[in-house]
Amino acid sequence: MSRSTHADPAAGALAVATRGLTKRYGRETALDGVDLRVPKGAVYVLVGANGAGKSTLFKVLMNLERANDGTAEVFGMDTAARGPEVRAQVGYVPEHQHHRYGWMTSGRLLRHVAAYYPAWDAAYADHLGRALGLRLDRRVGAGSKGESRRLQLVMALAHRPPLLLLDEPTDGLDPVVRRRTLALLAEHLADTPTTVLMSTHQIYEMESLADHVGVLNEGRLAAQMPRDELQRTVRRYRVAVPDGWEAPPDLHVAGMRRSRGGRELQCTLVGEERDVTARLALAGAEVSEVTPLGLEDAALAFLPEEVSA
Amino acid sequence: MMQTALHPPPHLRDALLEQVRVVGLGLRRPAQAAAVLAGLATLLVAIIDLGQGDVIDFHPEDWMLPGMVGLLLPIAVWTGEDRFGPGFLWTLPVDRRRHALARVVAGWAWLMGTVALFVLWLLVVSLVSGERILAEEALRVVPNWPFPGALDPATLRVVRRAPEPLFWLVPFTAATGTYLLASAVAVGVRHPLRWIVGTALVVGFLAAVVDIADASRLIRPLLDAVDSFLVGPYGLDTLLTARTETLKVDATLTTGETVIVWRGLPSVGQWAAATLLWTCAGLALVWAAASRHRERRRA
Repeated sequence: MSRSTHADPAAGALAVATRGLTKRYGRETALDGVDLRVPKGAVYVLVGANGAGKSTLFKVLMNLERANDGTAEVFGMDTAARGPEVRAQVGYVPEHQHHRYGWMTSGRLLRHVAAYYPAWDAAYADHLGRALGLRLDRRVGAGSKGESRRLQLVMALAHRPPLLLLDEPTDGLDPVVRRRTLALLAEHLADTPTTVLMSTHQIYEMESLADHVGVLNEGRLAAQMPRDELQRTVRRYRVAVPDGWEAPPDLHVAGMRRSRGGRELQCTLVGEERDVTARLALAGAEVSEVTPLGLEDAALAFLPEEVSA
Repeated sequence: MMQTALHPPPHLRDALLEQVRVVGLGLRRPAQAAAVLAGLATLLVAIIDLGQGDVIDFHPEDWMLPGMVGLLLPIAVWTGEDRFGPGFLWTLPVDRRRHALARVVAGWAWLMGTVALFVLWLLVVSLVSGERILAEEALRVVPNWPFPGALDPATLRVVRRAPEPLFWLVPFTAATGTYLLASAVAVGVRHPLRWIVGTALVVGFLAAVVDIADASRLIRPLLDAVDSFLVGPYGLDTLLTARTETLKVDATLTTGETVIVWRGLPSVGQWAAATLLWTCAGLALVWAAASRHRERRRA
């Protein structure tokens, strides 16, 4: 894919912007022309199956991986050309934590990280550590996966970065700590002007935080929009149809289920309700019920696993 | 629109100091082991040498130990670091090449401290044994090398000279040279151990083949090059010991006595030139190795 050179009028309002971002590992394409747009101050939840390219996208943004094509910017800075400056703006929680500093105590590791961030707020780090039940005198290597995750969250949040890149941030946490973490995140967002780009498989957890949603499917950005728009335009329809009815090809249909007689079907459709209803009527179907969807169901409508005839 | 106050990256000096601290913490275990060994060595010296009234020479340039420590230290400095993956070190807001170099410098700082302690230990042990470190020494120099059979004492030339204090720097420069070379391997090669073992196996195999085929004549230039690399005027031996290792040999006299003779005297100029050569090569290799980790510019 060719690199876009045109000026983006909305670029100043974006915390993260990628254009035609492509990353290949040999014959595998991890990212395929991704145009991500995360507005400043947004809580952007990236949804996708395992291997969809979410972690790769984060690594490219951190300049840990080199994109084969396209550009990526964080607060207008090219991530490839200004890697250190970009990383100074980011609190990063990677998906896998292979902590090679297992011999250090959690407290010493926090001091180590603090040395790299002039904006490190030691009092806030203490507060986060206490709230997440972190044992600072414990060796990092002796901790569980959950403890390691909590430590990473403190490392990511304590310098109050303008951008949080959270790759499955609640993975490995027990339900109590998970809830506490989300509460802390909400508190952090209220106190600190922050943009959040996070990936998660637990979309329902982010119902109260997310205001933008992106769906990655096999390296391609299948959809991205504000949460309100997503929930307004993706709805479940119950429709009565004649025998042998097929959905119009221009209608984005997901999760279609037919009743036993085949005369009634239920499906998730993408589009403004009035428009969708009119198109269904034109195709000979009669809408009997329209149900709004939760964030998770609405987002999953863009993933192929949900498509069934 | 939300106003974003961007954060500055850290000063390189702060990153370097933190690397010095964290590498020092990581080296605690090896340092403890070294301290135990130093204690044992002191005990042995006290019992065996000092007990028999031997005087221990203060010639730090004779010791290959600092060079060996320099060779092994990068393993401890870089162990566990995910150098070729999205490792923790690279997620920090410092230019990746500079960060790698900062870690190399941090390890070197600790290496110099360790070598200084070693030289100090040697100095104390020597002084306690009664060594007069700046007193003139008489060196037996053999004029023609190699000599056949036993050596006639009348052919030996005795040279009296005071020790050269500049040679006291040899442990520092030797350790620096080997540390840089080993760091280049540790930083720049994905599987350093495989390369080292593989190279040794290939060399061993070729040597065996040459031996079996009785073809050493065919690879004479190669053998000469290896010889120069190891014990030539600007070879590894000059870097490690200012050539004292190869210039000083045991010889049997016609009287039946075995004495240490010199087949040449160490030269400060030669040592300085070799040190410069090896250090520059080491620096260039470390730079090239660190450059493998430079920021990921677009393809």
